Amino acid sequence: MKNYCVKDMMVPISEYATVPEDATLFDSVLALEKAQEKYKQSRYSHRAVLILDKNKRVVGRLSQMDFLHALEPRDANLDQIRKFKQFGFSRKAVSLQQEEYLKSSPPILDVYSKAAKLKVTDFMQRPTEGEFVDENTSVDNALHQLTSGSNLSLLATRGTHIVGVLRLADVFSAVFNAMKESESQRSEGAQR
Amino acid sequence: MRELEKLYDRIIQRVNINLRERDFDVNPFVYNLIPTPQMTKFYAFYGISPNHPLNLVFKHTNLSGSYFLGKVRVTNSLLYKSDIRGDELKKYGDLFQYQEFNIPVDQDEEITIDDCFLIKTLVHNFSHDPETLETFFIRDTVSTHYANIHGSPLDGCYLGPFSTVDLTTMRDCVIGAYSYVQAGEISHLSIEPGTVWVRKPDDFNFMYRHPISQLSSYIYFASGSPPQGVFMDFVEDRKEAFQRVFNVVNIEHPVTVPPSASLDRFAVIKPKTHIGDNVLVAQRAFLQNSWLGRGANAQENCYIINSKLKGNNVTAHGAKIIEADLATNVFVGFNSFLRGRPNARLSIGQDCIIMPHTIIDTRNPLAIPPGHLVWGLIHEANDLEMNSMPLKQFSKIDTRICRGSMLFEGSGGSFVSLFQERIHHILEANGAFYDGNLNRGHAQRNQNISFNTIQPYPMGDKEGLYPTIIIQP
Repeated sequence: MKNYCVKDMMVPISEYATVPEDATLFDSVLALEKAQEKYKQSRYSHRAVLILDKNKRVVGRLSQMDFLHALEPRDANLDQIRKFKQFGFSRKAVSLQQEEYLKSSPPILDVYSKAAKLKVTDFMQRPTEGEFVDENTSVDNALHQLTSGSNLSLLATRGTHIVGVLRLADVFSAVFNAMKESESQRSEGAQR
Repeated sequence: MRELEKLYDRIIQRVNINLRERDFDVNPFVYNLIPTPQMTKFYAFYGISPNHPLNLVFKHTNLSGSYFLGKVRVTNSLLYKSDIRGDELKKYGDLFQYQEFNIPVDQDEEITIDDCFLIKTLVHNFSHDPETLETFFIRDTVSTHYANIHGSPLDGCYLGPFSTVDLTTMRDCVIGAYSYVQAGEISHLSIEPGTVWVRKPDDFNFMYRHPISQLSSYIYFASGSPPQGVFMDFVEDRKEAFQRVFNVVNIEHPVTVPPSASLDRFAVIKPKTHIGDNVLVAQRAFLQNSWLGRGANAQENCYIINSKLKGNNVTAHGAKIIEADLATNVFVGFNSFLRGRPNARLSIGQDCIIMPHTIIDTRNPLAIPPGHLVWGLIHEANDLEMNSMPLKQFSKIDTRICRGSMLFEGSGGSFVSLFQERIHHILEANGAFYDGNLNRGHAQRNQNISFNTIQPYPMGDKEGLYPTIIIQP
């Protein structure tokens, strides 16, 4: 693992799902599906879409969680209920209140059709400082960065450009394989 | 008057610094809410009695129309028609019990108010914070009409009209209109208007949120204008009756008061009112054509009109009861508004607990069965189903329950017991159980209070400011 750099393990940005800033949620889902079909190098599929500005620079990332959040009904009351955790209520209690509220609210018609037209920029997460990693950083260091920030991926940079995505699944897979190899060498040594 | 304006600016700046993280500017809400000339019009007054310590210190303040009792220190503050009632403060030698600790009180507790603007606010009870037993502090805080600060040290807070902070140490918080908070200790929170939140960490958590669209007709407060709605109209309509009791030196009340009861001379009593044994009527309470049975009480800013309280009823600070019949041991929480109509009376059964900040406003006869917990906003019998529950049933909750806008999590048994114990303690403290010898409380101790008045500079730069005043035995 020590001999590997981020660039050896990252998915190049050209192979990642990307959409322009003015894309809708539906555009982003289609882009993700297309990228997944094309990407055969790993058994782990892409789980996010990168949002590019007109200069092809990454301005945000839309995860599966962000996408599902976008489908959730929204109004001022629900926003208040979702803040109940700060008043010491458990997640179960918050969802109970949310369920009760939605039960008494008028049904939300055609939720998918409405969500499909929403702008991707309204739901994407802008990358923060700790989510960037130089492509020449060792994977060991990158692994530490992933775990300390609880990130599912890091954006690999060359200078000021984002050139790839280092995914937690790929790092996990590499670590797992390295562990298997080391254990098998140890048991072979013991048998001799 | 320049000094008074400078003092206002100083207070606003200090409060805003505390609330900067909340992104809350208090100035638009309170600027000109009480025009400065109004602050020079009224005298302040304090009580002297053999049953309460006397230690009052006022420095660089305006105290217009405010009342003080006990050990109180006010510095760099504006207090407008507020009641600072220090008759429940801890005394030297008391033991304060907190969890497994028994903490001795080193000196008589004092209410200290620094850099505050309190408008028609009640301060009462004692500090429940084990970290500040001898000082019940209120600092860098603005509170608006009919707010209650009850046993709650505050630092850097804003309290909207008719809000209550009860037994909670609070730092850098914004409390919306008609919100009630009893949560032990909180900081850096904004509480939306109409929220009723009672929490004991690791034990229970209760929250109800009044529907804003309906609450707005009862209380609405936006920057640039005074609080509006039914609550304000209700108290404004009865304002004149209070002017009379404040203008007259010797006042005769038109009722007979038993020797074991106490009727404050700054309460308004209209004819055909009955005061039973061990009844406590505090200043700024309003009684009209009502019957208060043995051990009932009416606290500050309570209105009891055309109603019958059978006995041992707690009507907490700011509660209003109109055209209603209450059986014995009914508790009506802070700032609750219970209104029946002459031909559609409201009746509440024995041992009911009406949660703080509950609104029951009915145009049809409505009966609440005995032993119920009631919360929220109720207009008719149908609403009762969603907003009440037998206490026995509530006590059985051990996980969580949601009914409409009410969410409860934890032990219902602990919640109910805590309320019942507290109600018992309030009755005890008020002297409801006095037997002619034992169990003396406020109703017996507050009978003989003399009142002195103090006044500010009448004109010049210091117009409206009170000189430094120290009042001791």
